[in-house]
Amino acid sequence: MRFSEEELRKITLNAIEELGDKASPDLVKKVISRAVATQTTPSQTTASATEGRAILTSFGMNKPGIVAAITSEIGKCNCDIQDLTQKLMDDFFTMIMILDINSSNLDFMQIQENMSRLAEEMNIKIYLQHEDIFRAMHRV
Amino acid sequence: MHYEFDEILETIKMTEIEHFDIRTVTLGISLRDCYHPDLKQAKKNVYDKILKYGQNHVKYAREVERQYGISIANKRVSITPLSIPFDAFNWEQFVELAETLDKAAEEIGIDYLAGYSALVQKGFTNGERELIKSIPYTLSSTKRVCSSVNVGSTKAGINMDAVMMMANVIKDTAEKTKDNDSIGCAKLVVFCNVPEDNPFVAGAFHGVTEPEVVLNVGISGPGVVLDAIKEAGRVDMNTLSEVIKKTIFRITRAGELMGRNVAQKHGVPFGIVDISLAPTPAEGDSIGDILKAMGVEDVGAPGTTAALAMLNDSVKKAGLMASSSVGGMSGAFIPVSEDQAMIEAVEKGNLSLEKLEAMTSVCSVGLDMIAIPGDTPATTIAGVIADESAIGMINDKTTAVRIIPAYGKNVGDSVDYGGLLGKAPVMSVRNLCSANFVTRGGKIPAPMRSLTN
Repeated sequence: MRFSEEELRKITLNAIEELGDKASPDLVKKVISRAVATQTTPSQTTASATEGRAILTSFGMNKPGIVAAITSEIGKCNCDIQDLTQKLMDDFFTMIMILDINSSNLDFMQIQENMSRLAEEMNIKIYLQHEDIFRAMHRV
Repeated sequence: MHYEFDEILETIKMTEIEHFDIRTVTLGISLRDCYHPDLKQAKKNVYDKILKYGQNHVKYAREVERQYGISIANKRVSITPLSIPFDAFNWEQFVELAETLDKAAEEIGIDYLAGYSALVQKGFTNGERELIKSIPYTLSSTKRVCSSVNVGSTKAGINMDAVMMMANVIKDTAEKTKDNDSIGCAKLVVFCNVPEDNPFVAGAFHGVTEPEVVLNVGISGPGVVLDAIKEAGRVDMNTLSEVIKKTIFRITRAGELMGRNVAQKHGVPFGIVDISLAPTPAEGDSIGDILKAMGVEDVGAPGTTAALAMLNDSVKKAGLMASSSVGGMSGAFIPVSEDQAMIEAVEKGNLSLEKLEAMTSVCSVGLDMIAIPGDTPATTIAGVIADESAIGMINDKTTAVRIIPAYGKNVGDSVDYGGLLGKAPVMSVRNLCSANFVTRGGKIPAPMRSLTN
């Protein structure tokens, strides 16, 4: 198990507080190993990339069956559609979806590959990006 | 969280149309524990350590690229200034060690590794003298190793012996790599006030105050800023500054997020975001074009320095708001060969060395990727380095010289490296002699600015 500097600092501070003047090598060892054992949450030093929402953006010339094809592929990947916005600008079709990918048994790269295969078949563009990038760029 | 339709489309537009990418993720590795009196063992220590930390660098960066749909142009490694751990070596041993670095870089799949460096602003150790002596040999016998030498600082003044020595090193390097347009000089930077956490190669190294291993990220994105300025149209300066700041804010945020993720995959601490606008030779990915969009007819026109100053300042302000870990160079780069609009300005005769020098006093980093006639005397090159260092020393900022005295070439010719290094037209240098000044030796004393306590 890997610890971030932040977590190590927390463990150390807890140990200092608990032991105070009584610290001996054996006692320190005991307290630290207990802290390590109870440290179950994964490292949260960054805006977690495992939260599991992705944003799918697709463009192309409008034609029948685009939404159906994309949604059925998403269904096959076992992802949950949480939001969907679709607009037509003349003959140009744009759709943006927010997907929960936690329930999928595929990982991010595999879903991405499935989507790019579909994009090629349909002759449209599909981008799948993790939600964090939008949060980072557009929210103060 | 709810996202606006336009926000999402804007992000896609930035990455797909406006060349927005992260310029570099650079893994800094300390080599301070690698010394061994036996060269063979020292080489093994260095090789093993770089592979230990660096072997997954490219893979991790690629994973993060895909996760966020933003590409990372360069994956690189920086090391402790080599003269520090290996101070006891002689120049031949340094060259051999450099060949090991080259091999390690190739093995982990990166194009450049930087940190073949010495910090001599206040004087030389024996090892530093040897390392500087070895630079022409190293840069001609390796492909991936980049070198830098710091010759001055606001605190220490300018080491004029080092300035003269570096001018000769530059000349020798140009000659030793004459069959490839003197490419060795493109991998050699002379600094004043060098930052210790800069992720941008060729001037990167892993400073002595840095942790064991650290991941720094350099952002980019002139194309995005250019489009934002064009879109804003004819607005006043305050509004223009706002437009630049908003764009840089987003770029910095994206850079930090991706850098932190690469660091997390490595299991190493994240260092800094270097909020620099770095151009590439690609169409539209140019600082020169930004200056023109701001309103000057061409780079070099009166007003260019003011435009650049405002651009640079806006970049910093937005970057500071976006991230608490800003470092490195952080400003706008103006390398001639890597920027299509700058190349054209030089070719048309609109941009001179003197104007470039003025521009470097308001932006990072310095006279960068500039080709000059191959027969320029070393003393004149020393004069150029001294001038640039003086700007850095007095203004408490980083300045650098990466100059290419193109062997056998003259004004009207050009050197062409292709790829990111681009193409540099040979610029004219004033044909006046600086020899009696630069060969005095000794040090230009530290300025008033150094006494801040």
